[in-house]
Amino acid sequence: MTYDWTLWLTFILIGGLATTLPRASFIVLGERASLPDAVLKALRYAPAAALAAIVVPDVVLVNGAVDALNPKLGGAIAAVLATRVSRNPWLPFVAGMAALWLLR
Amino acid sequence: MLSKCLQPLLLRLSPDFRAGAKEGFRLCLPVSVGIVPWALVTGLAMVGAGFTPVQAMGMSLIVFGATAQLGTLPLIATGAPLWLIVATALVVNLRFVIFSAALARPLSGGTLAERWLCGYVLTDGVFATCLERLRNAPDPRWRIGFYLAPSLWCGLMWQSATLVGVLAAGSIPRNWSLEFMASIALIVLLVPMAKLRPMLVAAATGGTLAVVLRGMPLRLGVMAAIVGGIAAGFAAEHWQARRAAQ
Repeated sequence: MTYDWTLWLTFILIGGLATTLPRASFIVLGERASLPDAVLKALRYAPAAALAAIVVPDVVLVNGAVDALNPKLGGAIAAVLATRVSRNPWLPFVAGMAALWLLR
Repeated sequence: MLSKCLQPLLLRLSPDFRAGAKEGFRLCLPVSVGIVPWALVTGLAMVGAGFTPVQAMGMSLIVFGATAQLGTLPLIATGAPLWLIVATALVVNLRFVIFSAALARPLSGGTLAERWLCGYVLTDGVFATCLERLRNAPDPRWRIGFYLAPSLWCGLMWQSATLVGVLAAGSIPRNWSLEFMASIALIVLLVPMAKLRPMLVAAATGGTLAVVLRGMPLRLGVMAAIVGGIAAGFAAEHWQARRAAQ
């Protein structure tokens, strides 16, 4: 797959609008601004919900259909187990990739 | 852009700033080492998604955020609409709004340029490691040094290790499916979050809805799933608190 110039536009929007702006928001605004408690509470769930919404379809779908026996799901399960049994930062990657290759 | 921000900063290095910088650097050294595998994997995954080395390093420097980069890669690679890519990155970065709010008071002594720089280099690791000391340190210049030095150092470690990953990826065959590293990286982020019950509910709902709603036009299902996941987590927390009160 090759990309055209719009890829750079994508980077600038992800980096500026969607990353630097939330990071800098209150640091730059200072103490003048604050968020209501309910909003802060709800925002705590955004990363978990979003990460799952990206990664789950990625590992259970094959060509748009649910496939419960595909190698990617095996790799994902191996990676989850690896994070549970060890604090070694490399292990999930080794286990996940190994399971993916073995099951293919 | 970065060097323009740095110039006035370097000229104003007071002894207080330097003392803070030294202390922050010492405290965050382990965190900066923990970044290395992440950066390598992100480098590999970007090339796995089909980026050239220049495109990959461009993304790394412009975005400088593992979650936003790894989270948007599958969307970029499958040609998802731009608004969805940007909205997804924004959602995974909403946690930074909370971090930023917590840092507003400790970093209020910085100049405007310094505070923008503080925003650009904000990372989970330094935030978690430094927040307690930042809250209690009395000297504003010391606090800026204490936060900025390890943050910039982590940024440097991140970019260097990403570059190593990007260059190494070129010599790895395509059928090794390196892009799957991005999925594993997201799982590694997700698992510790899901230890809290409402967080698990948010993730399970978000993941399930994203699969169920995959047929929606313009990949709107992803956004609907995220909103549903946040609502479910919020509801679960509320329900848990009510049960505890009874």
